[in-house]
Amino acid sequence: MARTVTITVDGATIQTAEGSSVLDAALEAGICIPNLCHMPSVSPIGACRVCIVEVVDDGRRKMTASCTLGARDGMVVEAHSETVLRARRHIVELIVAEAPNSRAVQDLAARVGVTRSRYPMRDKHCVLCGRCVRVCDEVWQSKSLGFVGRGGDRHVALPFDKRPDLCKRCNSCVEVCPMTITPCPGPMAVPGICGLCESQTSMVENIPDTCVMCELGRGFQCARWQLRGLLAPA
Amino acid sequence: MSRLVEVSDLASCREGLTRERSAWPIRVTLSGGTCGEASGSTGVLKALTTQLHKDGLAEKVHVRVTGCQGFCQEEPLLIVEPLDVLYCNVKSEDVSEIVRESLVNGRVVERLCFVDGASGRTVQRPADLPFFAKQDRELIGHNQSIDPCDIGDYIANGGYSALAHVLTSMSPEAVIEEIRASGLRGRGGGGYPTARKWEQCREASGQERYVICNADEGDPGAYMDRGLLEGNPHSILEGMMIGAYAIGSNQGYVYVRNEYPLAVAHTREAIEQAWDLGLLGERILGTDFSFDVKVARGAGAFVCGESTALMASLEGQVGEPRSKDIHTVERGYLDRPTALNNVETWANVPRIISNGSAWFAGKGTDQSKGTKIFALTGHVKNTGLVEVEMGTTLREIIFDIGGGPQNGKQIKAVQTGGPSGGCLPAALFALPVDYEALSAAGSMMGSGGMVVMDDSACMVDVARYFLKFLKDESCGKCVPCRVGTDRMLEILADFAEGRGTMEQLDTLKDLAWAVGAGSLCALGKTAPNPVLSTLRYFHDEYEAHIRDRRCPAGVCRALARYVIDPDLCADCGQCVEACPHGAILEADVYQIDQTLCEQCGLCAETCVVGAISRV
Repeated sequence: MARTVTITVDGATIQTAEGSSVLDAALEAGICIPNLCHMPSVSPIGACRVCIVEVVDDGRRKMTASCTLGARDGMVVEAHSETVLRARRHIVELIVAEAPNSRAVQDLAARVGVTRSRYPMRDKHCVLCGRCVRVCDEVWQSKSLGFVGRGGDRHVALPFDKRPDLCKRCNSCVEVCPMTITPCPGPMAVPGICGLCESQTSMVENIPDTCVMCELGRGFQCARWQLRGLLAPA
Repeated sequence: MSRLVEVSDLASCREGLTRERSAWPIRVTLSGGTCGEASGSTGVLKALTTQLHKDGLAEKVHVRVTGCQGFCQEEPLLIVEPLDVLYCNVKSEDVSEIVRESLVNGRVVERLCFVDGASGRTVQRPADLPFFAKQDRELIGHNQSIDPCDIGDYIANGGYSALAHVLTSMSPEAVIEEIRASGLRGRGGGGYPTARKWEQCREASGQERYVICNADEGDPGAYMDRGLLEGNPHSILEGMMIGAYAIGSNQGYVYVRNEYPLAVAHTREAIEQAWDLGLLGERILGTDFSFDVKVARGAGAFVCGESTALMASLEGQVGEPRSKDIHTVERGYLDRPTALNNVETWANVPRIISNGSAWFAGKGTDQSKGTKIFALTGHVKNTGLVEVEMGTTLREIIFDIGGGPQNGKQIKAVQTGGPSGGCLPAALFALPVDYEALSAAGSMMGSGGMVVMDDSACMVDVARYFLKFLKDESCGKCVPCRVGTDRMLEILADFAEGRGTMEQLDTLKDLAWAVGAGSLCALGKTAPNPVLSTLRYFHDEYEAHIRDRRCPAGVCRALARYVIDPDLCADCGQCVEACPHGAILEADVYQIDQTLCEQCGLCAETCVVGAISRV
């Protein structure tokens, strides 16, 4: 049994198991650190870098992803410092410009306060978060999906581009994919961040970092999603 | 040579080897590293062997093929001893003359000697070569006296005495203390204190520990590690053995890129010879220390030079970095404590033990000790491997050793530290070679690549070149590196092709910061350096590209275009004669073929009516 340690996230004291992910600990405690590639019950890879935080150690600040960061006793983490917010916004801006056609990604943009992207929009169908690859490997022990190629060529593929016998047709890869979450019924065909959705951009324009009940939250053990039924007006 | 079973065997073995070597009346040293082979050393060796047999000199003359000696542009180099003369650019045709004159008659063949461009005088002795004279060739200098495929040469030159000393009279802690006192820092680029790394590895919990030599050198224009591994592989093996003894490891790996076939072959040969002599294996030299080294070949990914990616590759996984919140000294290869050091770091270790930490700490600056090898390339007269004491200024390296610019041009900048280093302007050439000084100036020591650029280089284009390399070599795992470098490149392409805006320049600065702050591994964290450093020192060039749609160096072709105004044209045909590229077509009206045009501007200068303009 791992030792229980005390860490501080944005000033709040949290108790968690030593070595466990700082992101998980924060989410459990109700501190929302935005994230994309993270998924409960599969190992973290630190690919999307949305959950970056600053670890303050002896006055020195080091930026790192909180999903791959193991909790150590007395660790001080700042998840919403000016530097973190600036970097996180830019990273989300890059992601949303890659794949604006996803509700989950648009939610993420709204959550961190990105209302425009300075880059020409690309209409990609994958942000390489690796959720499908890991759920297939680690939950279903199937390894039917994997990453192929390097750098710009990196993509998710089946072995030899054929569905292997190992595939259990569980459909988990589709379920966890941020690109397949039901798209917004509004004018999502418009490339870019439309900003028309009442529940999203307009609401948080002046108050970034506010919860937008992002679709990804469903899969995160997000406390707000679990309480949604109770919070929603009758 | 018989197997060495005790420490005293090494000394007697060395005695025998030295006696044997002193009996050779005439010695010929031919450099046959990769650069030598590329310049034809194999043919020279063949011709030399044939000629010696023909003249009946095969017994009298000892021919030694060594690794790279550093002066790569004059390869193949041939040294004749005891005449002590150095011949440059030797060809197979020259061999008979060298044998007749130098080996038989003891005369110097003047025409093959190096002519110093600055003074115009002929240099005969290798030590007098201005290129060598101003260097401190502690590591690379030994290549000259060592045949990498003959362990005897290494032992005769004092090799493995540091290992014997460590095994017999030093505790592992004392070794770490000695390295700490020397102030040795990692030569791979980061500059992490080697002793601290070893100590952390020694203290980490776990039964098995590993030492790894990182020879996955992939920077464009850098080949220091290749020079050492090809030319003196035993010095690296000895360094690794001492390191393994210090941290308590019995297994080492040399991770070398497969594009270095000679380095792979020489390392394997060295390991085999060390096994045969009992310098690797169980109970080395009769002590309790056992050690083995394996060679692992990299498959051509630049990112595998990053420690965690290298270890993943070594494990047989995809070579991708992982988060380094837990250091590799605690959980590295196979999740066990691992000490990974660069080739040059390992090569320094035996010399520190033999000569003492005070000797090493006596060289260099306050924070950076010892010597450093640089691969000097680009627009300088003399290119090659340059080893200098830390603290030597960039000016001394580029002008005194490198000989300054070619063809009377002006040197504008130097890129240090490989693709993820930075471009430093000529105004900063007084900077010393020192980890902190280079970092403060926005570049880095890196592994030691040094690309010199003169005024024919466009800094936007240079940033674009290095960024393209990094984009192609990014593993693609994390967003800032994969997408960020791509977007930076997109913006630079807009600048170079005349579509840039000043807003994009701000975006570029912001993005460069975000990529550096948010990336997973050192490749991504340092990827913006070429952009940031050129933005810092050559901002005017960026502005010229954006505001004036002009490339000051005339490199970015899309920005320069000459056109003939048919209304003004007097149909004289002067421009057709003036154009050295034949780019002006004589149709109904004179026209410039933009695909042939080299944007020299001669036509516009020639035109008397001013019909040709640059747009």
